[in-house]
Amino acid sequence: MANEPVDVLIVGAGASGAAIAWSLLETRMRILCLEQGDHLADKDFPSRREDYELARYGEFSCDPNVRNLKQDYPINSKDSCITPVNWNGVGGSTINFLGHWPRLRPSDFRTRSLDGVGEDWPVDYHTLAPFYDMNDAVTGVSGLGGNPAYPDYTPALPPIPIGKLGQTLAKGCNELGWHWWPSDVSILSQDHDGRQKCVNAGTCDLGCAAGAKGGTNFTYWPMLENAGVELRTNSRVREILIDEDTGFATGVLYHGADGQLHEQKAELVIVACNGVGTPRLLLNSKSKLFPDGLANRSGMVGKNLMFHPLTGVSGVFDEPMKGHEGPMACSILSQEFYESDPARGFARGYGLHSGRSTTPMTYALGGYGIDNPIPWGAEHREIMDTVYPYLAGFTVVAEDLPEEHNCVTLDPELTDSDGIPAPKITYKLGDNTRAMLKHGEARAAEILMAAGAKRVLTKGTDDVWWRAGWHQMGTCRMGNDPETSVVNGWGRSHDVKNLFIVDGSIFATAGAVNPTSTIQALALYVGDSIKTNIATLFD
Amino acid sequence: MTNLFSDPERALLDAILAELIPANPDRRIPNASEAETADYLANQALANAGFQEQIRAFLSRAQSLAGEVNTDFVRQLETELPEEFSAVLTETYKGYYSRPDIRAKVGVGAHPIHPDGYPVARETPEFMDQLTAPVRARGPIYRDPTGPGGLNNGK
Repeated sequence: MANEPVDVLIVGAGASGAAIAWSLLETRMRILCLEQGDHLADKDFPSRREDYELARYGEFSCDPNVRNLKQDYPINSKDSCITPVNWNGVGGSTINFLGHWPRLRPSDFRTRSLDGVGEDWPVDYHTLAPFYDMNDAVTGVSGLGGNPAYPDYTPALPPIPIGKLGQTLAKGCNELGWHWWPSDVSILSQDHDGRQKCVNAGTCDLGCAAGAKGGTNFTYWPMLENAGVELRTNSRVREILIDEDTGFATGVLYHGADGQLHEQKAELVIVACNGVGTPRLLLNSKSKLFPDGLANRSGMVGKNLMFHPLTGVSGVFDEPMKGHEGPMACSILSQEFYESDPARGFARGYGLHSGRSTTPMTYALGGYGIDNPIPWGAEHREIMDTVYPYLAGFTVVAEDLPEEHNCVTLDPELTDSDGIPAPKITYKLGDNTRAMLKHGEARAAEILMAAGAKRVLTKGTDDVWWRAGWHQMGTCRMGNDPETSVVNGWGRSHDVKNLFIVDGSIFATAGAVNPTSTIQALALYVGDSIKTNIATLFD
Repeated sequence: MTNLFSDPERALLDAILAELIPANPDRRIPNASEAETADYLANQALANAGFQEQIRAFLSRAQSLAGEVNTDFVRQLETELPEEFSAVLTETYKGYYSRPDIRAKVGVGAHPIHPDGYPVARETPEFMDQLTAPVRARGPIYRDPTGPGGLNNGK
């Protein structure tokens, strides 16, 4: 079945798909977005239920292999120490992300020049800065201006309370003379733009029923749908089609809500399926012209997969830290060890993120993203009564370096419910990352002790968190050289001139911060570049 | 209350649950048996055939062990049936801590959490100024190779 052609076809209604649709609104082109999931109805947010924590281990798990919902695709992570996590639906992973909103720093865009590792980006911080600002204005960002870790900018809304936990850790940093700052968050500290401010429920990963968290289901999509952008849900794209004569994309084949396979023609195809979904789609779009997958003449589609490997360190304090009161991921962020220092024995750096505590069930089961329950019996009682309420800690968020052997490929056997090959992840930690995590654990422990912790808890192994694959980057990286990159400096495929990619897969390097603000700023930048180059777009 | 378990099975399971998560009488925190976690486990077993098989195997072995249910008894089950034990323990934690009254007793407020949440006072601007003063006093700590001041901008 064929549908009426559109000007712009966006695949994926998550962070980047929504942002670029918004950027292109003013062109008055006919825009269609195909999304494999659906809208999340207000009544379906688990955080309104008494037993809300159970959803974290079932239908609202961040892990699609656990959720196993109709709109999810399985991911084979057997050859990886980290499994990707996501959400498939309107809003994408902004439904269940934690809303931590730091920007990349200027040096992140020049790691090859500065530190001899990774790749330089074809764009820089200052080029993206106006688009960060633009995206922040739409999303609603809370934070404190004047952070000396960045060129000057000021979030529009005052910071979320850092609470007793954040104050305690900040004092520890001050004691050592180390950097810290209240986290920028895409969470409203005040009522804003018709949305309710955060109520400090601490259930960000279960979807924000209040609408305080800046998921695109609450920010961009209501505006876009009102403005006439068509959002076709329960529509899973199988393959991007190509004209073998012109080499241009002609549209897509997708499985619709009716269970049928449809063809949708478009003048411009924009892929916004995140760092795993996007290479999966391109690799599954084979043709005579592109036998190894669409836009893959460089061979780089799916290569250089980067996550942000995580580990955690906690301190036990004398007083309750009330860590469950407030947004999960966001209190303070120390970037003392973000920039390279050759004396540390590794390149680049990491952030120390003070998340808040998890809820009792999640703590008892080992923590967020970990399947390793705490002991049972008398020790269990002791931990829950005398440790759990008194905890404050840091998550070490390490910059992963691009390595070709870390990759997304198509699984030869595993498929989704429509028979489309599932992605297979091959990933192992690099030595640089391991050294970084070890350094970070030791520094986090120093802060905790300086902050007054009675003792510090580390896990005592080299393992990283299993469900830490939130940030999926690098698998269709941007660059000026078509031999070593998939898209150019403004997101256009080197090989297919009416095909754009706007999600985290185009990152050249990973930085050591949550990527969503950069993903959306990049999408707005790509949208702006399309508008600027509209007369010669396909030349 | 479901009838998945016979009375002897239920009694045995309750005794094991009391060992897995003991009570804290001083704070009136019930053990997992008193919190009726067995009902949760029964419901999970009814909904999940795989788990039902595991808990049946677990109880079957427990019934064959001699002696009273104590820490050593449960430890023996853990050693002999690690997969089944792990499944029962995980579901026990889920069942026990999914009760709002239990959450309140371990220091987390009662729920439902939306739209109520928790009242958390915002720090005053003066307080934040004071707390961040040492950080600001050090000046910029970033490298800016493409900024107006070049690399020196941040150092």
